[in-house]
Amino acid sequence: MVILEVNNLKKVYTTRFGGNQVKALSNVTFSVEKGEYVAIMGESGSGKTTLLNILAALDQPTSGEVLLGGKNMKNIKSSEMSAFRRDHLGFVFQDFNLLDNFSIEDNIFLPLVLAKNDYKTISAKLSPIAKKLGIEEILPKFPYEVSGGEKQRAAVARALITSPLLVLADEPTGALDSRATDHLLELFTKINREGQTVLMVTHSTKAASHAGRVLFIKDGEVFHQIYRGDMTTESMYQKISDTLTLITTGGLQDA
Amino acid sequence: MHKWFYTKMAIGNIGKNRKIILPYLIMSVGIISMFYIMHAIAVNEGLASLPGAVSIIAILFFGTVVIGIFSAIFMFYTNSFLIKQRKKEIGLYNILGLEKKHIAKMLSIETLFIALTALALGLFGGIVLSKLMFMILLKLLGFDVTLKFTISGISILVSVVLFGGIFLSTLLFNIGHIHLARPIELLKGGNLGEREPKSKWIMALIGAISLGAGYYIAQTVESPLEAIFMFFIAVVLVMIGTYLLFTTGSIVVLKMLRRNKDFYYKTKNFTSVSGMIYRMKQNAVGLANICILSTAVLVSLSTTVSLYMGMEDVLESRYPHEIGIMIPDGIPENQEKVTAMVHRLADERNVELEHFNTVRTKGFPTVVEGNEFTVDLENGFDYKMSFVQLVPLEDFNLLENSSTSLQENEVLIYTNLEMLGLESIVVGGNEFLVKEELSDSLLEPKTESALAMNIYVVVEDIETLHHIYNTIYGEEDQTLDYISSIDVAGTEEAELAFNYGVYGGIAEFDFAVRADSRMLSKDSFLSAYGGFLFLGIFLGTLFLMATVLIIYYKQISEGYDDKVRFDIMQKVGMDESEVKSTIKRQIVMVFFMPLIAAIVHISFAFNVIVKMLALFGFSNISLFMICTAVTVLIFAIIYFIVYALTARAYYKIVQ
Repeated sequence: MVILEVNNLKKVYTTRFGGNQVKALSNVTFSVEKGEYVAIMGESGSGKTTLLNILAALDQPTSGEVLLGGKNMKNIKSSEMSAFRRDHLGFVFQDFNLLDNFSIEDNIFLPLVLAKNDYKTISAKLSPIAKKLGIEEILPKFPYEVSGGEKQRAAVARALITSPLLVLADEPTGALDSRATDHLLELFTKINREGQTVLMVTHSTKAASHAGRVLFIKDGEVFHQIYRGDMTTESMYQKISDTLTLITTGGLQDA
Repeated sequence: MHKWFYTKMAIGNIGKNRKIILPYLIMSVGIISMFYIMHAIAVNEGLASLPGAVSIIAILFFGTVVIGIFSAIFMFYTNSFLIKQRKKEIGLYNILGLEKKHIAKMLSIETLFIALTALALGLFGGIVLSKLMFMILLKLLGFDVTLKFTISGISILVSVVLFGGIFLSTLLFNIGHIHLARPIELLKGGNLGEREPKSKWIMALIGAISLGAGYYIAQTVESPLEAIFMFFIAVVLVMIGTYLLFTTGSIVVLKMLRRNKDFYYKTKNFTSVSGMIYRMKQNAVGLANICILSTAVLVSLSTTVSLYMGMEDVLESRYPHEIGIMIPDGIPENQEKVTAMVHRLADERNVELEHFNTVRTKGFPTVVEGNEFTVDLENGFDYKMSFVQLVPLEDFNLLENSSTSLQENEVLIYTNLEMLGLESIVVGGNEFLVKEELSDSLLEPKTESALAMNIYVVVEDIETLHHIYNTIYGEEDQTLDYISSIDVAGTEEAELAFNYGVYGGIAEFDFAVRADSRMLSKDSFLSAYGGFLFLGIFLGTLFLMATVLIIYYKQISEGYDDKVRFDIMQKVGMDESEVKSTIKRQIVMVFFMPLIAAIVHISFAFNVIVKMLALFGFSNISLFMICTAVTVLIFAIIYFIVYALTARAYYKIVQ
């Protein structure tokens, strides 16, 4: 079953006085199946963030369409957009985006409380997730009291607690040290094995090497993709690394 | 480096930060103008030459000192806001290579520009407006004269020295602050101190007790003299209570709400409660300041307006007749001389004596216990006591033009306050039956509030009067207090001449005698009350300006803090209308809390202020109530307008 379908997506930014046009995405087409773990790679300025913002409905495409769970996002009314995003998407950000004035527990509860669930329902959902992510002990603490890795796990818990169709992760290892990075990537692999669809945007080869499929974006287009098949993480890492070298030196054409 | 580098930079900085510097500048201009005006009027030579100007000049000098002290406190306070907002900018300059001494140089030039602009505009405004203010003051004082008004060199000098000093101190404070900080701390600036505040139960409890005690004192004060002592105690207690409750009480309450899971995990409450905990931590002191200032504005305006508007009443109640003459501990010959003088003056000055009556009386302080009027010879008078005035029936009948008769053991009683409702009284060891308690009498008008209760006891004759008095004091005193009241008719000039004549005449007697003229007292009343009103309006305006600026800076600084938080909430699925309503609920709660607290303070202070106003002879409680209500209403409207304007600035930042 296809969860996410992106067709001929194009995004052009116009500078303030209409002088220059900057093409962020020229023509992006791809789809994500249920249960897949997809990484999107590209260098800075390749259009990764623009793509993610459009997928998250935080930004509108110039043309093309995005279908999430079979529903065209263009047809969702702006008043229902927040609710749609809340119920169908989970977000993990590079800088965690936890609220300082909420405890870790309350930060995780936030999307559910916004969706007007009562306390019984939400507290029942928390404990299995907290256990899975190993953050039970830090639940009553505040974000400034825990490490970066713990913050990011809390953010993952917040993304998972609504049981979203798709988890969008934007450079989730960007602010973590290597141990915390390993831990987080294992977590993503684990939740993906349990059936959660994940779409991660990154330029870390290591992060991408855990994914089932890697899409490469260059100059606003999907340039190349690699399927993991039955490769180990190590050989996947090698393959991604080789591909990146080829892309940068300009040797590779669409495979 | 180029000679003008720092100057250019300083000007550029002022321009870039105009959003926060401009209000500070406007406020400085306003404060300087007000200080100059107050001082210039106080030292004006023309004013000093007016009759009764001594009290008004004293009031104006007092006002000058208050404005001076307040300006210093307030400018420091707003300056700390400014520098906090600019920390990041200054940290950036530091990291980009400006040394701290260079930053100090840049800040000095900035301060110099701001100070010069503020002083120039402030003094200009002050000079222009002082003439107008002076005319308003004279009008309030009831003077019709036109006085020459000049630019006061001494006032300019005092203003420049005072405000130059304040600006210099704020600059030194800022430089010292930056000098101590590390660049990275400066860069992080406002983002420090986001820790969740602790619940301080004990402090909250002390705050509640302190506030409660203040309110209790204000409510239970019974006599005006007591009010004077207790008012300041109550004010201090309420201030302590306000600060503690805003800082710790609010956190305690919010955390209790948070502990109630079913309440807390509702969409509306979830973001509000946690947002408020965070906000209260940063803003509690500022909000408590706003609350105290608002209360000060309301009290100073409502009392001074009431006094001024109720002045005629005060004059009427204090001087029921045009002239009162009193001979304490006199003998009949004294009174004969006074009577002769009054008749002679009436002839000489061409006025007709419409009313001329003398009541003989003897008075003593007493404590009313049941029906017994006890006298404590050991201790002096204290504020819980009443005064008994013994009056012979003969004089009472003459005054009232009545023909009441009394038995030997019978009395009439009358008080200036509430009725006593006694069947009999015991005074000086004898019991008397109360034949009647009068509800009204020419002895003294009834009033709602007075310094002390006067109990008039009308006895059968002079012998009884002396007997009672001498039994109490164990003396053989045959003197009496002679209290005369006079009303005259004639032209205004003739009456004025008569009044002056009485004042002059009694000065020549060789026994103790005192005269009070309503006509001649009016000027000093006008001068004092007009002065109070002027000061009240002036200080009210000043406090209001301070309140407005604090509100503005709060909105701005919170706007920047909240922007980040609402961005995150929108990302995790809060829609824009929810964000808007959450923001709205929070700022409404935060900004109307001080106003509501101020109104509660005023309501509780009502009783004690009424008692204090009685000291000024003001007893029109309903007038005071109306004045207070109108002041509160006008203040609330202004507060709301300010809120609406600054809230727009806030939304602009957050959106």
